[in-house]
Amino acid sequence: MNGPTTTTWRLVSLSPLPVWALGLLTALVVLGVVLAVLGLRREPSGLRRRVLLALRVLAGAMALFFLLEPGLRQLAQVRVKNRVAVLVDRSASMGFPVRPEGQTRAAAAAEALDRFAPGLEALHDRYQVEVLGFSPELAPASAETLRTTGTGNRTDLLAALRALKATDTGGSRKLAGAILLSDGADNADLQAGLQPRQAEELAGLGFPVSTVRVGEPALVDLAVEGVKVDDFAFVRNGVSVELELHARGLKGRDVPVVLQREGVTVGTRTVHLDSEDQRTPISFTFTPDQTGRFVYTVGAPVYPGEAVVENNTRSFVLKVIRDRVRVLLVVGRPSWDERFLRGLLKQDPNVDLVSFYILRTSADDTQTRNPERELSLIPFPMDEIFDTKLHTFDVVVFQNFGYAEPALSISSYERNLESYVAGGGALLVIGGDHAFGEGRAAYPILDRALPVDPSGLPAQVEPFRVRLTPDGLRHPVMRVQTTEPATQSSWDELPPVSGLNLVRVKQGATVLLAHPTLKLDGQPAPVLALWDHGRGRAMALMTDDSWTWAFTARRSGEQNRQYDRFWGNALRWLVRDPDLTSLQITADPPTVEPGHAVGAVVTARKPDYQPASAAEVRVDLYSLADRRVLQTRTAAAGPDGVARVSFDPVPPGAYKLRATARLEGRDLGEADDAVAVRSVGPELADASVRTELLADVARATGGRAYELPLGSLPAVPLLDPPLVEVGRSKDAPLWDRWGWLVALAVLLGAEWFLRRRFGYI
Amino acid sequence: MAFPLSRRTVLRGLPLLVLSGRAMAFGDGARFVPGVAQHGGRWDGRMSGLRRLAWELQRRTSVEVVPEARALQLTSPRLFDHPFLYFGGDGEFPPLAQPEVEALRRYLTFGGFVLADANDGSGGRGFDASFRRELARVLPGAPLEPVPTAHVVFKTFFLLDSAPGRLFLHPQLHAVNLGSRAAVLYSQNDLAGAWERDESGAYAFEVSPGGEPQRELAVRMGINICMYALCLDYKDDAVHLPLILKKRR
Repeated sequence: MNGPTTTTWRLVSLSPLPVWALGLLTALVVLGVVLAVLGLRREPSGLRRRVLLALRVLAGAMALFFLLEPGLRQLAQVRVKNRVAVLVDRSASMGFPVRPEGQTRAAAAAEALDRFAPGLEALHDRYQVEVLGFSPELAPASAETLRTTGTGNRTDLLAALRALKATDTGGSRKLAGAILLSDGADNADLQAGLQPRQAEELAGLGFPVSTVRVGEPALVDLAVEGVKVDDFAFVRNGVSVELELHARGLKGRDVPVVLQREGVTVGTRTVHLDSEDQRTPISFTFTPDQTGRFVYTVGAPVYPGEAVVENNTRSFVLKVIRDRVRVLLVVGRPSWDERFLRGLLKQDPNVDLVSFYILRTSADDTQTRNPERELSLIPFPMDEIFDTKLHTFDVVVFQNFGYAEPALSISSYERNLESYVAGGGALLVIGGDHAFGEGRAAYPILDRALPVDPSGLPAQVEPFRVRLTPDGLRHPVMRVQTTEPATQSSWDELPPVSGLNLVRVKQGATVLLAHPTLKLDGQPAPVLALWDHGRGRAMALMTDDSWTWAFTARRSGEQNRQYDRFWGNALRWLVRDPDLTSLQITADPPTVEPGHAVGAVVTARKPDYQPASAAEVRVDLYSLADRRVLQTRTAAAGPDGVARVSFDPVPPGAYKLRATARLEGRDLGEADDAVAVRSVGPELADASVRTELLADVARATGGRAYELPLGSLPAVPLLDPPLVEVGRSKDAPLWDRWGWLVALAVLLGAEWFLRRRFGYI
Repeated sequence: MAFPLSRRTVLRGLPLLVLSGRAMAFGDGARFVPGVAQHGGRWDGRMSGLRRLAWELQRRTSVEVVPEARALQLTSPRLFDHPFLYFGGDGEFPPLAQPEVEALRRYLTFGGFVLADANDGSGGRGFDASFRRELARVLPGAPLEPVPTAHVVFKTFFLLDSAPGRLFLHPQLHAVNLGSRAAVLYSQNDLAGAWERDESGAYAFEVSPGGEPQRELAVRMGINICMYALCLDYKDDAVHLPLILKKRR
């Protein structure tokens, strides 16, 4: 749409002659004047000379007039109506109040537009005014829409202006300027303020952007912002969580900030607020003692009158992994079994070995006068390893350990050890003449964690070859070769072992190796058994002769690594290496924005670790706050053993996903993972009004910055719309009048007459 | 064949009775049994010394032993039932057969331990020359190197700073290291000679130049070597070092 048409006149040449012809004729005219000047050089009368010359010049000019054929051209012009865009922020942060207890920023913007209406109307004769909402995508917005709060989860001023610029295609779409109504709470490119590169981009928009700040900076709000933590951490290694506490309108208060792991307080910091608008960096350092994925929450109390209460807490998921498997090896006495296991563990770069050997008991006579100076022995630090430091180990190994004498008895630490296993630790007990009740010591409480019970029967001392059980053949611990037949063959070929602690297998335990002939209670005597105890795992090997699998088995020179593989598998199983679990679940993503669905990916494997295609997978989503199952989903695993499930959005908080799976009536185990649903997304995390940013945007584009309230539309800078000619022009010749011809004839005749009179002709 | 019951026989059997009383009824596989390498020279001159060492090991430490020394052909499959092998001799011995060389190489490579002992106290001749020659065939890329007194073998049980035997002609032990493990420890001071007993139960040889204190040191060194074979570098673990360094001050 354009403005009214106006008419203007312009003097033009209507001569049909080309320019070169006109130039040639003009030159002839000039030559005529020059010849006249030359011819009058000897004229003694100055008056005669001047009169004759004037007549020649006038005649020449008149001739030129006829040659150029001058005329008047009539032109019709119109002023093009350019666009003025009024951009209104439709992000969720516009739902914050302008001031405590006040109307929302969105309502304030709508009211301001009402007041701007006459001013915008006045622009209509020169501009086309468009009202657009952005969040950050541009969309036409009606007055009615603008009264409601937007739901955009992002404020991206630069993206909105880029999108506006993209609509500037010239002509009637050309932008003369923009008026931006926003709180300026940018959480995208301009979050850190206007940088030089972005200022350059804004300057290149080609139209001024005037900003109108909506909302008042003075409000009461406490926000946990900018939480920085790695996606994963190493167990027993320090982790730092950095964040910023942004407090406004709470000067003078001492604010406690608490970091919790699924309800358990990890750390507390107190921040004293010295100003009305204060950003305080806070750092928590803690040492996770368990592997897995956990939801951590940083929280600050809610004070009366806060603009946003949801931004007082922030949750994140931290995956705690192990850097190396930390093994505590407690050895009852040096032996070849210990020697080869130590050699294996020490050479494994993934194992951090801490070992304690009982090198001497009270019954041993060292034949020293001053044992303190002559022996290299150190006291057995039982308090330290079985109490204060116990939780720092991934696996505790008792190798032929079971002393009754008070200095070496662990009976007072049995409960600690049993709790350690039940709480997620791993215990491996290796047999011998001090183990499984074979010695004088009995550890009934610790035995609860083990998959076997001492039988009270004397040990079997006859050499025998271990037999792999059907469960053992499928179990990953025993997989020393790539195929089952090869694995079976490997175990069959092992040299005999001598010495077997006779034990009874507990209900729920799995026997992987057994005696080939010896039976106990009608069942083959177990050699290797394992089970899950509480959240931990335990394994029992009832012989102290497994070293022969490392050494004796190589007598013929075979590069047999069966011993290494077996113990490597055993350690991985004990520490729940994800590759050795039959069921895994992963929250996808681990941190969910508010209002979004919670997703999970479940991977199920058969006991032989092949994909459990068509396994029935069940996933429970439960709240960590009350341990109540909120939603349950079931799915069938695909050919790759993977099933994906999705849960309806749940309120902000910390949740756990627990997966179980069955295949052909057989339980495939269970797995869990953590998921955090954010209380607020980045859009609502900060209720602040960015006055400076809005002013910077206006300055960079050549616009002006304003702040509400404004009574009417201010005089915002706008580009002038350009004029363009419209319709046909009309020419009116000036030269074809008879008078001009008469005048030329009179001039030429007068010169002829006077020349004749003066004697020149 | 009947053995006459004499006072000497009873005395000789006394240690075994003590040991058998302590040993529990369990398999012998994990226990310490010194193997003795048979070769073409005089290899069996220290059998009772090795039994004595086993007995001392049992008496002074928590290690369970089978109180005997087992003579083993290097090509015998039973060699791999005994990760501790005593390789001693008095005087030169003929070159090992190639199968013996290869068996010994496998033995050492896969974790076996050899205590070599020059019963003749030789250096550059006699047993020393033969042993060095054969070792170069067994482990051609791994030379014998002096063992510094900071090595863990000097602190595996007793705190020691030298390695005397029946003699003390050579101040240092030598070792062949495979990786971080000393697979061979070699004494040129006739270690086992200091432990050797005669039929009467008395020590078979005088110890020089230090007399009985030197013998005690030799016994302690023997125990430390056994402990090293059984525990490797356990005493180099970080938990031990501060205390051991303090004791050594």
